Amino acid sequence: MRHWSDKLRVPFSIGLVVLVWQTVYLLGIVSEKYFPSIVSVAQSFWAMIVSGDIPAADLKTFGRALVGLAGAGVLGIALAILSDLYPSFGKGFRYISDVVQPIPPAAFVPMAVFSLGLGIKLYAFVIILVTIWPPFLNGVAALQSVSGVQLNTGRMLGCSNRELLWQIKLPAAMPEIFAGLRYAATISLIAVIVSEMLAGRDGVGFMIFKKAFALRTADVFALMFVVAINGVMLNGLVNVLRRAIVGWHIGMMERSE
Amino acid sequence: MAEILSAHNVVKSYAIGDRALKIIDGLILSVAEGEFVSLVGPSGCGKTTLLMCLSGLLGLTEGSVKFEGKIFNATPPGLAVVFQDYSRSLLPWKNNLDNVLFGMRRVSGMDERQKRAKALELLDAVGLGGFDRHFPWQVSGGMQQRVAIARGIASQSRLLLLDEPLAAVDAQTRADMQDLLLELAARFRQTCLLVTHDVEEAVYMADRVLVLGPRPTKVVREIKVGLPRPRDQLSTREERAFLDARHEVLSLIRSMRKPKEAAVK
Repeated sequence: MRHWSDKLRVPFSIGLVVLVWQTVYLLGIVSEKYFPSIVSVAQSFWAMIVSGDIPAADLKTFGRALVGLAGAGVLGIALAILSDLYPSFGKGFRYISDVVQPIPPAAFVPMAVFSLGLGIKLYAFVIILVTIWPPFLNGVAALQSVSGVQLNTGRMLGCSNRELLWQIKLPAAMPEIFAGLRYAATISLIAVIVSEMLAGRDGVGFMIFKKAFALRTADVFALMFVVAINGVMLNGLVNVLRRAIVGWHIGMMERSE
Repeated sequence: MAEILSAHNVVKSYAIGDRALKIIDGLILSVAEGEFVSLVGPSGCGKTTLLMCLSGLLGLTEGSVKFEGKIFNATPPGLAVVFQDYSRSLLPWKNNLDNVLFGMRRVSGMDERQKRAKALELLDAVGLGGFDRHFPWQVSGGMQQRVAIARGIASQSRLLLLDEPLAAVDAQTRADMQDLLLELAARFRQTCLLVTHDVEEAVYMADRVLVLGPRPTKVVREIKVGLPRPRDQLSTREERAFLDARHEVLSLIRSMRKPKEAAVK
């Protein structure tokens, strides 16, 4: 059973944020124009929900982040597997990843606008190019570090190299790959918001930019809240998948604590 | 009795930089069907390397190993290895039943239902009836090694290569597991080659004890253990033949220690 203090953690955290927020607001440290009260943020949030602005925009934003994450996850794992099967490909691809990985999503957008225009291709390109690395790099590292005893067990029971990969290495690597996917979920959302801000015509990122230029700060804060909820939802989805696929690892970790 | 495993002039060396480090040098051994043979030797003489070579998991530098008369370059069906490190050897994402079933992946002539029934029977035989749905990490070390032994036998092995299988379990469990291994070997007609550093265990279990020399190793003496079966933890260990064999093996291994090392101890 969970301890009562665990159950109170979420309401306590929210309460603390509200308290600090309102204290800053009431003290008047920042002008009300740029830092609205939490009540007006809630009001604009509700207004944009009722008007349908948030649902319409977020359907696009969340959809892009989710599809991008799924695509990048599948592609990253596939590339990790290829790197394991063909070490020379893996080595070459590592050089590419070392160069591309540090580039922030915002830096890709202008270049992508020129060649891909504004639209689905742009999103796919930017999101996948920045989101693919955690599952790929974790996958490569995990596939390489599978215990020798596990591999010998597979070989002893007659596994070919391909069978070793599918039946021993990949299942053994899955927990680390999921650690990468959790990280990728956040990156995917960042990439979507940035792309929408810089080159979008819709979505929550686009709305944030538009409202910010109109100095509608309460709306901007409400939309930031929407982005945060998206992050929580994406993480939750990855966690559901993680429990389904590597539930054994979670159980094992809890037991060794 | 027919010969099930034979090694002829086996040499194994590793390249370390531009030097070759010889681990095994001219090893000869032969195991007959139905035998229980123990391999003992001074620490660091290359016991595990030897077992890897005998199982086909490690290539030889020179010489040959035959299983049932045939040379092989990967572990042949009918030969199973039980590793010392059971917690790594069992696959943690599979429950105990599925781990045993994984051992049957090369078994033909049985459908999935028959395999399941056989796997459950084996889990029962190693004393783990009712633990089939548990994951390896949910049961004790001794129980994990039982699953690994069941998995070995499940592969329809005729020869079990046991690499210090009981080194990591506590003393009480070890005695129980020794008797379990002897019982299983008889019941499922397993020829066993046991690598161990425990001289008493080597003598207690075996029909023959092969003593390995220091590195680069080879068999330096064969000691026939003239003890009746079934063995008993109390009475067998008190018999003259047990004590004589134990004395012979121990004194031989002690004589192999380097003088410097002996002086320190």
